Amino acid sequence: MNLSKHWAAQLDDYVIDLAWSPDGALLAAASAAGPISLFAAGDGARRHELAGHEQGTNCLGFAPGSGAPPVLATGGQDGAVKLWDAASGQHVATAPLGQAWVEHLAWRPRGKEPSDQPAVLAAAAGRKLGFVGIDGSHRPAKVDAPKTISALAWEPGGGCVAAAAFGGVRLWDGDDFIVQKELPYANGIHALVWSPDGKWLVSGNQDPSVHLWQPETDFELHMSGYEGKVKYLSFDQTSRWLATSGGRDACVWDCSGAGPEGREPAMLPHDAPVCAVAFQQGHGLLATAAQDGAVFLWSPERRQPLRATVKMPKPATKLVWAPDDRFLAIGSESGIAYVLRCEG
Amino acid sequence: MTSSAIPVTVLTGFLGAGKTTLLNRILTEQHGRKLAVIENEYGEVGVDNQLVIAGEEELFEMNNGCICCSVRGDLIRILGRLLKRKDRLDGILIETTGLANPAPVAQTFFTDDEMRGAFRLDAIVTVADAKHLLQHLDLGDESVKQLAFADVILLNKADLAAPAELDALEARIRRINSVAKIHRSVNCAVALDQVLEVGGFNLSRATELDPKFLETEYPFEWAGAYTLPGGALEVAIGHDDEDGHAHEHSHDGHAHSHHHGNDNELDLVILPLKSLGESDLAAARDLAVEAFSGWESRHREGEAIVPGPTLHRLELKAGHGHFPLTLPGPGLYAVFEQCGEVPLHLQVGKEPVRPDWQQDYHAAHEHEDDVSSVGFHQPGDLDGNRLNTWISELLRTKGGDIYRMKGVLSVKGSNKRLVFQGVHMLFDAKFDREWGSDPRANTLVFIGKNLDRAKLTEAFKACLA
Repeated sequence: MNLSKHWAAQLDDYVIDLAWSPDGALLAAASAAGPISLFAAGDGARRHELAGHEQGTNCLGFAPGSGAPPVLATGGQDGAVKLWDAASGQHVATAPLGQAWVEHLAWRPRGKEPSDQPAVLAAAAGRKLGFVGIDGSHRPAKVDAPKTISALAWEPGGGCVAAAAFGGVRLWDGDDFIVQKELPYANGIHALVWSPDGKWLVSGNQDPSVHLWQPETDFELHMSGYEGKVKYLSFDQTSRWLATSGGRDACVWDCSGAGPEGREPAMLPHDAPVCAVAFQQGHGLLATAAQDGAVFLWSPERRQPLRATVKMPKPATKLVWAPDDRFLAIGSESGIAYVLRCEG
Repeated sequence: MTSSAIPVTVLTGFLGAGKTTLLNRILTEQHGRKLAVIENEYGEVGVDNQLVIAGEEELFEMNNGCICCSVRGDLIRILGRLLKRKDRLDGILIETTGLANPAPVAQTFFTDDEMRGAFRLDAIVTVADAKHLLQHLDLGDESVKQLAFADVILLNKADLAAPAELDALEARIRRINSVAKIHRSVNCAVALDQVLEVGGFNLSRATELDPKFLETEYPFEWAGAYTLPGGALEVAIGHDDEDGHAHEHSHDGHAHSHHHGNDNELDLVILPLKSLGESDLAAARDLAVEAFSGWESRHREGEAIVPGPTLHRLELKAGHGHFPLTLPGPGLYAVFEQCGEVPLHLQVGKEPVRPDWQQDYHAAHEHEDDVSSVGFHQPGDLDGNRLNTWISELLRTKGGDIYRMKGVLSVKGSNKRLVFQGVHMLFDAKFDREWGSDPRANTLVFIGKNLDRAKLTEAFKACLA
């Protein structure tokens, strides 16, 4: 396995979020200070720099599908969602959600019959959840969350979006935006992820633990014993392996069948607290990063799982695989966006 | 908490006490440094180029609502975002609402792994309004807690209160929190080093605990020093002299609600005093403590008293009595008194003498707030195992009522000082430097609610090796 540098580019501040366009041709990188750069995936040429958000950008995401032109959504400390034409670099629309920071956004995935579903972006600003259309029209949820929304994740079929806040998770219907279900959890939640088959919804928690629900059956599992709060989660494409942060090991649970209860997780060791985990989208490699700047690649099913290592000068802030899994984008605290080629 | 950790200052205080004034002052005078302010309302603070974030306080109440396990979710979120920048911040100021309980704020920096790693809680600074503090204290728990949790207390708007009122306020604050540094201020005008880089949660700085504030349970409530002629004087007890010559130990304007013991007895020790210097006063005080624990000599009306380390128990009739006092020579004398509600005068002929110096001591039972400080200063070594058992049990059963705890202890078998501090059940201890030539001693203070001084003292003493 060979991991080599493809290109790197410098932003003006901490790389707070990264996203590949659906066709893999562009990488969008947001600096914590606000500006957003659009890079050509092939050579790292900066195609556009978007103004982003005053006081800082928090998050970004491309609308799904290979529609042209690609649409990028960004959320910032100005309380707004902005939509951009990523091909031309033009600002398209702004959806103001309120005074609170827009900290989370998630595009509704394309379901089995994509033509039936208009593109919808779920965005969270404080206790408010908003649903934003591709033209910037937006519809606030009728009720606010009881506390600040701390994570968003669409069910992979696009049927509902899960929104977490201290005290639990609410599932919002993806078509009429009403609460379908409440999943109480008596603690703070930092991350949400669905298994790609839609069977499991998992939260990473303050307490520190992960909690697993099967929303269809009301079955729940609780896995604790972490060193620290669990902020990062990733499922592999088979829905079997769940990677989690929460200590100096990336902890990988086997979620097949009745779930991980009673099973020993695989502990993939780092020398510093793990600060990012990301499975490939169509393959089985897991990328993990730690506070000492290390980025490791793993095949969790192998007896010798460690496949490749890279040491960055500063800790990684984000790990994002390109749609074809051949490139790994890494954001760093020093403001450099790296793209590594993964071969072998 | 590492040394590169960003210092955090928490500002508490009731609405209108002057938190915003202090914030703006800090920001203005610190404009060379990059500070971030987390305030509880929008738009109160505004200084160019400083990062001001308004938030809504969000309590994460952990398991079964136990306050000791609660943290501030909004701080975890906002501070987590503030860490996402290329350049390090020089400091964080957190303004809480007037009604905020400081415990979850402090606990956030102890229990959350990310916060503990990146930040260092420097101090809780409480701004109190000298004019309205008494009203606030009577309103309820939170203002008392804000004083109890504080490392630094600004008695602000000091120009609006008379010096005697300020003295009384300070005395009352001391009974709640015996170790906080108290500064009087007008418009929060204090030197910044009095509120920033205070080291209130720094284990090694815990050694700056001043034992003189850790008043142990004195058996007397008041002491005064008088310059007296030699020869025959009189100790007069009672309200019969209504022309305003009563000595002025008004105890903060509160009459004693209860007299310890018999209403018709008054305990007294009179000692010659070398000077009004601190060490001479302390020596006399210690001698008086000893005398109060000895046998009393009873005096009926008219029976003479002589100075010396003897406890005189004066028998009163309906709160009145006159006792001749014979002094061997002129000079300074200290009078220690366990009084009731009755005033005491020293008279030369019919003329009362005013004290040159006086002090109230808080006896164990006297308190108008159910939050208080209990401190010890005791030479000698502690048994490590017994200490550990005691503290564990104490925090398990009383952790909810213990707000702050600090100490420097001498543990048998170690040549290093054991320094510790805690908030509720969270407890941090380490051996720091060697005792060297310092005398080995234990200094320990608890600040909390419904603390039982006698029980704590007994339990502490049982840990002595």
